[in-house]
Amino acid sequence: MFRFDRRLLQSFDWVMLVAVLIVALLGLLNLYSAASLHKGFGTSVFIKQIYYYLLGFLAIMAILMVDYKVLTKWSYPLYVMTIFLLLAALFFGSEVAGTQRWINLGFFRLQPSEPAKLMLVIILASYYYRKDTGAGFTFKELIIPMGLTIVPFALIVKQPDLGTAMMMIIIFVSMTLFVKLKWSTLATLAGIGLSFVPLVWLFYLKPYQRQRILTFFNPESDPLGSGYHIAQSKIAVGSGATFGKGYMQGTQAQLDFLPERHTDFAFSVWAEEWGFVGSLFFLACYFFIILWGLNIALTARDKFGVLLAFGIVALIFWQAFINLGMVLGLLPVVGMPLPLFSYGGSSLLTTLAAIGILMNIRMRRFMTGS
Amino acid sequence: MLRPVGNITKMDPAELKMLKKRTDAATAIIFFIVAILVLRLWHLQIQQGGEYLQRSESNRIRVQQLAAPRGNLVDRHGQTLVTNRPRFNVIWIREDAPHPDEVIRQLARILELDISELLDRIRAGADQPRFIPTRLKEDIDWRTLVQIENNSFNLPGVQIEVQPSRNYLHGNLASHLVGYLGEINQRELEMFRHQDYRAGDPIGKMGLERLFETYLRGEKGRSYVEVDVRGFAQKQLQIQEPLPGNDLQLTLDLQMQKVAEEGLRDAAGAVVAMEVNSGRLLVMASAPELPVESFVGGIPRALWQGLLDDRRAPLLNKPVQGQYAPGSTYKVITTLAALEEEVITPETSFQCNGSIIFQGRRYHCWQRRGHGQVKLRQAMAESCDVYFYYLGQRLGVDTLAKYARLMGLGQKTEIVLEHEKEGLVPTAEWKRQRHREPWQDGETLSVSIGQGFNLATPLQITRMTAAVANGGRFYRPKLVSAIIDPEGEVVQELQPEPEREVGEVSNESWELLREILVASVMDQRATGRSARIKDITVAGKTGTSQVVRLSQIEHFEEDEIPYHLRDHAWFTAYAPAEKPEVAVTVLVEHGGSGGAVAAPLAKAVLEAYFRQQEDPTLPATAEQKQQDEE
Repeated sequence: MFRFDRRLLQSFDWVMLVAVLIVALLGLLNLYSAASLHKGFGTSVFIKQIYYYLLGFLAIMAILMVDYKVLTKWSYPLYVMTIFLLLAALFFGSEVAGTQRWINLGFFRLQPSEPAKLMLVIILASYYYRKDTGAGFTFKELIIPMGLTIVPFALIVKQPDLGTAMMMIIIFVSMTLFVKLKWSTLATLAGIGLSFVPLVWLFYLKPYQRQRILTFFNPESDPLGSGYHIAQSKIAVGSGATFGKGYMQGTQAQLDFLPERHTDFAFSVWAEEWGFVGSLFFLACYFFIILWGLNIALTARDKFGVLLAFGIVALIFWQAFINLGMVLGLLPVVGMPLPLFSYGGSSLLTTLAAIGILMNIRMRRFMTGS
Repeated sequence: MLRPVGNITKMDPAELKMLKKRTDAATAIIFFIVAILVLRLWHLQIQQGGEYLQRSESNRIRVQQLAAPRGNLVDRHGQTLVTNRPRFNVIWIREDAPHPDEVIRQLARILELDISELLDRIRAGADQPRFIPTRLKEDIDWRTLVQIENNSFNLPGVQIEVQPSRNYLHGNLASHLVGYLGEINQRELEMFRHQDYRAGDPIGKMGLERLFETYLRGEKGRSYVEVDVRGFAQKQLQIQEPLPGNDLQLTLDLQMQKVAEEGLRDAAGAVVAMEVNSGRLLVMASAPELPVESFVGGIPRALWQGLLDDRRAPLLNKPVQGQYAPGSTYKVITTLAALEEEVITPETSFQCNGSIIFQGRRYHCWQRRGHGQVKLRQAMAESCDVYFYYLGQRLGVDTLAKYARLMGLGQKTEIVLEHEKEGLVPTAEWKRQRHREPWQDGETLSVSIGQGFNLATPLQITRMTAAVANGGRFYRPKLVSAIIDPEGEVVQELQPEPEREVGEVSNESWELLREILVASVMDQRATGRSARIKDITVAGKTGTSQVVRLSQIEHFEEDEIPYHLRDHAWFTAYAPAEKPEVAVTVLVEHGGSGGAVAAPLAKAVLEAYFRQQEDPTLPATAEQKQQDEE
């Protein structure tokens, strides 16, 4: 298994590596500007992010050593471990701003909901791979993957972290739609999903969460309250105009009008300082990674690789879309980082690990099973 | 059918085709969504970019507090004593100053300040964001203001800030009473944390400014201002006007107060004038004055240290905080006690040879030649000490103390002012406890002429005199008669507070006492004769309280006695004698004799009172008339 074939090196995914490096450099460049207002804090954020990148690239190397198909064997133990981490975050986690999301490891504060997203991709890929699709899944056959999704979902909802929990559902839906479903199953799922919406709205959402969503549809109603993030972000992005205000010259970011500018709203800073041209360049680089990921899915040598690659692409893509939609005022504020770009160790390491798996699949596309 | 774990085979072509189709669909979805994002970016940045650029230039709404005009202090006739005026401060905004060195050099020249002083101030504000102004100089005069405004083009980053502050229309008049404002401190912020105070706000630190803070301060306003990206105000959005504070109508009479303070100029001491039938105070003067005008915008350290070091104690509000031996004004109490205790009749006479020997010690009369054979009336009028030594011997210290207490000595008057002193009425018991020594009978002699351990405040002596004038009724001294809202409506009227009536003293005694107090001013050789007023009968008593024993200053000629060893001069009086209205007490520290120094000032204050009664709008003196006309 650890025997390293020469062919592996030949088929190393340089394209993905270069693309990820470019986005990583853009991210660091942007973070340096976004965090520059707070002198001491900014430096430490910047340095930390560099460490996370280095750690992430080491993780990619480690992941490349091992054939991705072992994940079909390891998926259940890894899944159980993830559930334990989520439970630990709930019971022993450190509370930040009223939420229990972090486990303090001393040198690093792990946010287990981030690897949980990747874990869900792996476990679903492995389940759908092992289950023969045949004429399409029936609703009954979907109960196990639904259960696998619901457990981490519930634990993340409990933290509470609405955005990440929502991602769990989105991953499940994306991957389930990707494999073959019976039409009746699809209809049942849609029915259940829709009927849950009002229940969740009425009984589950906390007032501030409801407020955020309502504010989204009418942001002018509360320009200094819930709508503040959206309004300031739109001003930041819009005021970048064609060519931007220039690096480190974004007034929205530099004068502290823009909240969470090194995490969720990192792209606002980019768009303000680099304008439409810079934003297009960024989107081109970023979505190249995603499309390349889909290409990896297309060229994978087996169904597991296809499912896994597709799941990972879905994971990165939906997060990016939700984040960008929020930054551009198309979607409500839910607290979602832009993978690879926003500051944050757990998200970055998870994303790089996911990229590592993609590269792994790519590298082994010519290998046949023994 | 489950595939075996770990044993991955190539996909069958049909399944591969299906997944490929779905991947293509996913690619289409992704392109579609990216197109939406790009369109959105186009819309925000290209189509609306200019508009958003403007909005980012004038972005945030800032809430500014608007200081409320503080209530005025007006006198009993409605004449304003203290009001507000705008104060102009020079402020510095770093963000706006591209060439600070040159600007600071110019500014230092205009402000006549050292560059290093300006730099110190700028450095002190260096931690704050660049758009937050730093104050460089407070309260510049209008000439400087004009200079800065004219040069504003050459002084980028320099601005003028307008701040309301206290305006003392009559200088430091009644300064101890008015008190002053200062920046709120940590303790006060803590104390008033439920009220709308913020660091940097002014708050009353002393006197009425402090005691009536809640009435005077008003309510702050709010101004909602849109600020631009550098933090500068761009657009006024909404203003909630501040609510001015309530005015205080004082019981003081400005003209009388002026006369009193003129009289105390260059001296140290106190003048108190009070309505005998209400306890309302017409004059509360303390000298030297407190330079409250120089306190606006912060008390300079050197000035404060100078006030602390001044041996004339300008920080004391002497009418209530100064304690002095009452001297011969105390003879009012000795007389009252002697009449009531019937140790003498008005006809009882004693021989005064200038001194008596008691228990082997000699006790002098102020009149070294002696008064000869004197009765009560003459003894009081000419302030014969020997006569009162005999009374003291017959009464004993504890009986004297009883009457002193009846007349309000040795206890606070409960006036609404800070740090009121209660004075001291000595008794045998007090001395045993305080000094662990038995009372010496010789000490009773000193007490009976108001010397020795006796201590009283000028306000206490005024109340005593007022009580003699009105037949033993005591009122709580009042300084504020009404609280008036900004529309001129009286919010609260402060009525006189009768405290107690001295029932133990017979009417005959009161009348007799009043008679001999009239004699003390009106008799030919009366010590208080310089307090006489045309057409009005004044009743009063002089006092000269020794600061040191006579023997210590015997070797000095009278005008050579060092200042701090000179006697305190007292005079306390009421008028008109037939139908008393007003009581006045004057104390001049180290002024010499009461008759020569204090009585003329009391006379001037009384004259001012009667002039005001005729026409309250009349200026008190010719000099002031001239000033007012200017």
